Amino acid sequence: MKRKLLIVLTACACLAMFSGIVLAHHGVAGYDLTKTITLHGTVAKFDWSNPHVVVFVDAKNDSGEMQQWTIEFAAPIHMVRAGWTKNAMKAGDEITIDTHPSRNGASVGISSTITFILKVVVNGQALPGRSD
Amino acid sequence: MRFQTAVCAVAFLGALGFAPSLPAQTASNSEEAKNQKAGLTSGGKPDLSGLWDPDFRGPEGMRLNTWDSSDPFAAHPERAPMTPWAAEKFKDVRPPFGAMQTFDNTNDPVQRYCDPPGIPRIYMYPWTIQFIQTPTTVYILYEYTKVWRAVAMNSEHSKDPDSTWMGESVGKYEGDTLVIDTIGFNDKTWLDQTGHPHSEALHVIERFRHLDHERLELSVTIDDPKAYTKTFSATKLYKLSPGPVGETLCAYSEMKDFQEKVVDKTQTAPAK
Repeated sequence: MKRKLLIVLTACACLAMFSGIVLAHHGVAGYDLTKTITLHGTVAKFDWSNPHVVVFVDAKNDSGEMQQWTIEFAAPIHMVRAGWTKNAMKAGDEITIDTHPSRNGASVGISSTITFILKVVVNGQALPGRSD
Repeated sequence: MRFQTAVCAVAFLGALGFAPSLPAQTASNSEEAKNQKAGLTSGGKPDLSGLWDPDFRGPEGMRLNTWDSSDPFAAHPERAPMTPWAAEKFKDVRPPFGAMQTFDNTNDPVQRYCDPPGIPRIYMYPWTIQFIQTPTTVYILYEYTKVWRAVAMNSEHSKDPDSTWMGESVGKYEGDTLVIDTIGFNDKTWLDQTGHPHSEALHVIERFRHLDHERLELSVTIDDPKAYTKTFSATKLYKLSPGPVGETLCAYSEMKDFQEKVVDKTQTAPAK
């Protein structure tokens, strides 16, 4: 009985993974969804507007050089549905943020679409997340 | 052991089939309760009130990017039953979804110009819809781009309608279903998220009905003899939504800003 359950669960998991790759969302054509990186830095700008909320983060890269990252989120109303507001962060705040990076190696990433919000911690407080 | 099992089985079957009958209800009460559950008014007409979210999750909730249900994942958008006219238009599209998806120099009219998505492409965006039903007109309000349509109930189409972004709609109730018939389109919109074209001969039939109180099914049929060699259709689900509804206009200045500050950076090799 347990073995059958395991087989079914594995099959479901495989199907879910496969579906995720085939059913690409808006905006992810340019991002590598299989990769997640974590940035530690400062909020340079918080752009709470359509079509997508955008967070600009100043963070040091592995070589210690300051880089500015452009991180895409879902539309404002979709962030509101998940519990965010336009006051979620502001320029100068300390931020730790997970993101799926751009495929071309540019310092651009996506941290939220309609179906997920990756981990975002601002001044030590985690903002509401969402998983598929 | 066998005897005990048999007793259990009989008891269980008995519980199923021979439950004590419920106290008698008046015909109108039970009819009302049944109608409420099914999303019908007391007059038997569909009650479409509420806020409706397109269902993106679960086996039925996959994101719909094409109305051609023979290619549900839009893995082969070129296989839609296009006429040579449509196939010619289709070969140059640079759409946001499907096998040909790209954000490099997009020519998606919504992304490039904030053009209205139109009917029925607007249903493919993950935003809410709501209905206002009056005896003569059903209004549909779309959160995405904040547009609305007026569907003239129990009317005929005009003889020579204008060519407009969202067409001319007439509607009627068929049992539990709101049926909307739309013609009079311009050909400036895409049919869907994969860039399929349509002509001014486009004729769209939408059918909305409750599957239960909390779920609405939308069925869309595409009939465009200039662009497609046969009709095709697909369905999608809507769920009762807790909201809230926000403002998601497509403002060209915001779209342009986003393209330049975010999207373009993902398309070109970064400066070293």
